[in-house]
Amino acid sequence: MPPTPSIASILASAMLPDAEKKRLERLLYADAGHGYDAFGLHPDYVAFGAVLTAWLYDKYFRVKSKGHENIPASGAAVLASNHSGAVPIDGMMIWADVLRHTEPPRVARAVADHFVPMIPLIGTLFARGGMVGGSRGNARTLLESGELLMIFPEGVPGVAKHFRDRYKLQDWRVGHVELAIRHGAPVVPVGIVGAEEQMPQIGRIPIKVAGLPFIPITLTPFPMPVRYHIRYGKPIPVHLDYRPEQADDPSAVREAAARVKAAVQALLEEGLAERTGIFA
Amino acid sequence: MSAFIKGVLVTGTDAPVGELLVRALLADPDIGHVLAIGQRRPEEALPIAHSARLTYLQVDLVRERQVHDLLFGPARDLGVEVVVHTAMSRSAMVEGGGVHALNVEATRALLQLCERHPTIRRFVLKSYAEVYAVQHDLPVLIAEDHPLNLHPNAPQYVRDRVEADLHACVRMGLSPLQIVVLRCAESLAPGTGSQLFDYLESPVCLRPAGFDPMINVASLRDIVRALQASVRASEQGVYNVPGFDTLPLSLAIHKWGRLGVALPSSWLTPLYRWRRKLRGHDFRYGMNRRRFHFSGVLDGRRARQVLGYAPNVPVDWPIA
Repeated sequence: MPPTPSIASILASAMLPDAEKKRLERLLYADAGHGYDAFGLHPDYVAFGAVLTAWLYDKYFRVKSKGHENIPASGAAVLASNHSGAVPIDGMMIWADVLRHTEPPRVARAVADHFVPMIPLIGTLFARGGMVGGSRGNARTLLESGELLMIFPEGVPGVAKHFRDRYKLQDWRVGHVELAIRHGAPVVPVGIVGAEEQMPQIGRIPIKVAGLPFIPITLTPFPMPVRYHIRYGKPIPVHLDYRPEQADDPSAVREAAARVKAAVQALLEEGLAERTGIFA
Repeated sequence: MSAFIKGVLVTGTDAPVGELLVRALLADPDIGHVLAIGQRRPEEALPIAHSARLTYLQVDLVRERQVHDLLFGPARDLGVEVVVHTAMSRSAMVEGGGVHALNVEATRALLQLCERHPTIRRFVLKSYAEVYAVQHDLPVLIAEDHPLNLHPNAPQYVRDRVEADLHACVRMGLSPLQIVVLRCAESLAPGTGSQLFDYLESPVCLRPAGFDPMINVASLRDIVRALQASVRASEQGVYNVPGFDTLPLSLAIHKWGRLGVALPSSWLTPLYRWRRKLRGHDFRYGMNRRRFHFSGVLDGRRARQVLGYAPNVPVDWPIA
């Protein structure tokens, strides 16, 4: 089981620099009464999550990111990113990156596929760090509360894409823009370069294990230490460009989703053009 | 609506919620008379000081004739305007036609009789959060339009509650009555039929390894406040009544002073079945399996906006 909040707090206190500890104390969240929000987020676990991801972020994937000024400092917003890597570490790295580069610190509330809450331990640990199951109701509540959502419109097919399809955006779902239009939130496109090569996938075994929809067949047994490049694009003001009632207009929603997809694809192309090597 | 209510009829006053509601209504000077209904004999019922504003009657709600004579006799004479129906079988272990008759048929009959009553204008049903489905793919925050637990294998405890709730909902707008359904969070108190309370009675509480869902529990005082608010309100509708405490299951176990032990989920149903057989407890793990895996917290915004109810009395946790 995840450690109790007090143990998480002790570990975070012991391992985080003082300045970062103080900074994370300013984390804004809706305490439902016992230190947790209604979805299970707890600030001590967020700090603990910062510790857990620090080595991966700093040493292993050596994350470089730019465009943080495009992440709204407050209010509802949707981060929409490409998704890849056989194991969804990309979500974890965006989570850590947003936490580090927002002031006061914001938690990117990952909207995970339905099966994630069913995975023992992981489902609970991720919920403590702010993840929510991918139901429309959860996303709606969070946007109404002015939270920052992290959505991967490619969904599981993105994580499961074949190595030959890297950096080709898969079927781009439209729910993220529908939510953004309805609830008055801008969409921030995010492009991650690196994750698509971390664990080249060459096939999959269609067996459901512990809630996972399949078992990936990969060239490496664990993710390689590729370098992650995260880019945040300019917010797309779908909430200003469309009226809330247009959230029910399929053509308007498809059009808005296509704009987001094009922005993410452009960020990927910029990132690919800029990087000098997979590990560099 | 005038502030003064001539009479309120409360069923289920043998149980803590009903009894506390009667006390609260008697403390309200703008309630003319309280007609308390229970199954106990008058000399054993309601440990409340005699009041000229209180009448207690022993009525078997399963017997429609008795209910008819209650409503068109004493209730009419006292000018009862509001009926608060809280009577429901509390044990998950007792099943069968008799239980269904109380849980569902009595609710249906009471509602039908109230609809043609000359003085009753408002019907409040105390329903339960257990009517909602809790699943991995459903929202954590449960609004009033959340799917109900219509699982074919749901036990009678759940099925009856869903059926009674739906029956009241179906009559809304069709009935001359103002109908209010309050879907109340579980109250951690004895005699309320709370599965969680019974679960926490054990010194060691087993829970599924790898899962620690968020739950919401209410104090009796908050439930009674919500019922009081619905007596006074002029709106009808379905409202969630959340409690003050929203916390993970593991923390609830700890705050209740129990030892939580995480075990594989598949072990828990047989272990709790044995506990039930050996110790006679009421808790059924199979019935609670999903909510012991996935979070489900009542969203009380509607009740706050319309009824003016917001939870503010925490559960009296043994460990602060």
